[in-house]
Amino acid sequence: MSAPVEITQCIESLLTAPLYGLDPKARHSSLLALLKIELAYACDRNPRFRNYVEHWPVHFHTADTIADLPYLPVGAFKATPTLALVDANEIKRTLTSSATTGQVPSRVVLDAETAKRMTKGVITIIRDFIGPARRPYLVIDTPENLSTQAELGARGAAIQGLGSFATEVVCCLRRDPEGNTSLDLEKLLDCAAKWREAEVLAYGFTYVIWTHLAQPLQRQGVTLDIPNIRVLHSGGWKRLEREAVTRDVFIRGVASVFGCSADRVIDFYGMVENVGVVYPDCEHGNKHVPAFAEVVVRNPLTLAPVAAGQQGLVQVCSVLPTSFPGFLVLTDDMAEIIDYDECPCGRLGTSFRFAGRVPKAEVRGCGNLETTRYQQGQGNGLHE
Amino acid sequence: MVCMNDLMLTQEVHSPQEITCGAQRLREIARQKEIAPQTVLEVFEQWAAALDVRELREVPGLAFLRLWLRRGTLEPVLLRELGPDFLNGGWRKDGRARLRAFPLGVVGHWPAGNIEIQPVLSLTCAFLGGNGCLVRVPRGLLEITQQIMEKLQEVDRYGVLTERTFMVSFDHSRTNLHEAMAQAVDGAMIWGGAEAVSQVRKLPFPHWARVVVFGPRLSVAAMDAEAWGDRAERSSWCRRIARDVWQFEQRACSSPQALFLEFCDERDPDEFVKDLGEAFQEENRLHPRRQIEPSLTSGICLARALWLLEDAPNRAVFPASPDWTILLGRGTEIPKPTQGRTLSVLLVDDLLEVISKFDGTVQTLGLAVKSAQREEKLAQAAGRSGVDRVVKMGRMHLFSSPWDGVDLIRPMVRLVRHVRSQE
Repeated sequence: MSAPVEITQCIESLLTAPLYGLDPKARHSSLLALLKIELAYACDRNPRFRNYVEHWPVHFHTADTIADLPYLPVGAFKATPTLALVDANEIKRTLTSSATTGQVPSRVVLDAETAKRMTKGVITIIRDFIGPARRPYLVIDTPENLSTQAELGARGAAIQGLGSFATEVVCCLRRDPEGNTSLDLEKLLDCAAKWREAEVLAYGFTYVIWTHLAQPLQRQGVTLDIPNIRVLHSGGWKRLEREAVTRDVFIRGVASVFGCSADRVIDFYGMVENVGVVYPDCEHGNKHVPAFAEVVVRNPLTLAPVAAGQQGLVQVCSVLPTSFPGFLVLTDDMAEIIDYDECPCGRLGTSFRFAGRVPKAEVRGCGNLETTRYQQGQGNGLHE
Repeated sequence: MVCMNDLMLTQEVHSPQEITCGAQRLREIARQKEIAPQTVLEVFEQWAAALDVRELREVPGLAFLRLWLRRGTLEPVLLRELGPDFLNGGWRKDGRARLRAFPLGVVGHWPAGNIEIQPVLSLTCAFLGGNGCLVRVPRGLLEITQQIMEKLQEVDRYGVLTERTFMVSFDHSRTNLHEAMAQAVDGAMIWGGAEAVSQVRKLPFPHWARVVVFGPRLSVAAMDAEAWGDRAERSSWCRRIARDVWQFEQRACSSPQALFLEFCDERDPDEFVKDLGEAFQEENRLHPRRQIEPSLTSGICLARALWLLEDAPNRAVFPASPDWTILLGRGTEIPKPTQGRTLSVLLVDDLLEVISKFDGTVQTLGLAVKSAQREEKLAQAAGRSGVDRVVKMGRMHLFSSPWDGVDLIRPMVRLVRHVRSQE
């Protein structure tokens, strides 16, 4: 069953509105109204979700702010059966999160309408940062992640989401029969020679770019000399932090191997549960919320929204999905609110900076049975 | 290498030698200077009084610690575990032989990081046996442990306990320091979560060392229909369970994670949950959280969601904040604990059936049962099913011996048997 016309029209209107130019109050008001309709629709479609919403301390019809609306923690998308608002035969694709070994990934289901909006949302946002032109697209990944499948991981989804900007697509990594990934240097050098003067788009997961491209090229002393490239990357910093690679070291390293300026290396934050919304860094290092989305940063102690300058748990909001209840999602990430009105870059509305994953609990006491009775999990049960 | 004169203040140690040296000093003192149990009790009594100060009143568990240190609490424990002769420092007859308790020497303490008073509680057990104590204080508890130990220093005029104490601090990842500590002790009291305990147990203790492990366990509460259905008493029971839930943020092994309610057609569980919600709200007003780990907030939000998103007609009551959560449903299994003041209230047909299914995981069963006969049956079933403590709801954290089914003082002494050569 398709979402009601009222919902699809409102979504469309926000998708075509000035991306970062709406007055924050007016935008909040339109989003709040639409999210309430979407929540009512989701409650009709999914009794499990309705049970959750009905127990929320504030009835969503009476909520005055987006922050009062019932949100789902991101881990809820790992639940079985998968949370869906459409029948199984309407599901066109299932997106899965990039869970680390041993963890259960999140799963979100997309129908044709939501999938279309997802693509449109991402394109609209990225266009604002890199311009509308189509250009050669260098995928810093293996060709296997380009294939279209019914179930798609976060990496594949991000790679494919940027495909609309491509005139041609080249993957510069290869996988050998043993499953080892390496850089196809010859192919990369050919592309570099061909694209020297061109506007080029490159994308890869942050740690993949560093491990499989920047480091090998640095070791070999190779500079690609593609000064007009835009290198987009996402997927988080956790692995690089473990290797003590700072954001600055990464940006300078990547810019130097491509022979471009550092401002052409753009980090963006996104997650499969927040379909159609990505948060690239602006030139001031801040992330911005597009017209069809919102971000609430919540104080972990109270879960109330924090003031500008404070850190908390990130809640992402999007009006785009109608095939699963991913309108309001509390993530396991921390962020700092920079401003609620305007950034020096000119984009209006909430601006924030990602501040890492929620750290695992440090104190685990005598009531912690994680590694015995409840074998699911997080592991570290040290004395502090 | 540093050998401290004042070992009582927690030292940040960097090398195995510092630990070895401190432990050696403790061992010499324990061997050379016997300490009478009555002397320990006397100092403890004064320590309890000294801890009654405003700046320490808010410390979770401090009221228990003060009560624990009282002679009236500890004398019966010593009498039960070691007998009257031990209290008087003498030998007791055992047929043609005689027995007397002697300290092990140096006892190493690995307290968990979640209970503010645990380093001190652990230490007191070994003191009562006349031992020297080498205590690794978890980083998060350094300040509070220091404040409590300063009060001991104030009252211990002759330094009888002070000189038997070496408090150390080092990062949990410093395996070599853990190893040095293990090699330097004659006994160990280990408290904590599953992984922490298993790591400490693997350390290279001397073959003669006595190792006692407390935790990891979890606890539950149970009420029969008559108890929760009695409107006059219900609020009082709700306040009691709220107190048990609030203490130690539900991270203690004695914290109730689930409350089993015996189902009864004539009584409405929603009324009970309403009263329980009010009790939680009030407890939160009296003891609000000052801080929380973001991961706990995430865990609480997830527990609420997963419970309500289950296919079963589950219910829940919670405020917009992560302050407290009541999850209501049916079920006889103990759910995976969320902690952070999240109580699963599970309706069951028969408490006896539920309790009989417990395994050794359950440490404490808090009970609210009207009929003494019924309680007798439930306690028997709990004992058979691995439960080590069956107590009144509201008193689940009351530290007492035995704990986890094990004596607290007896394992840290050696009973020496003497058969006279002339007999």
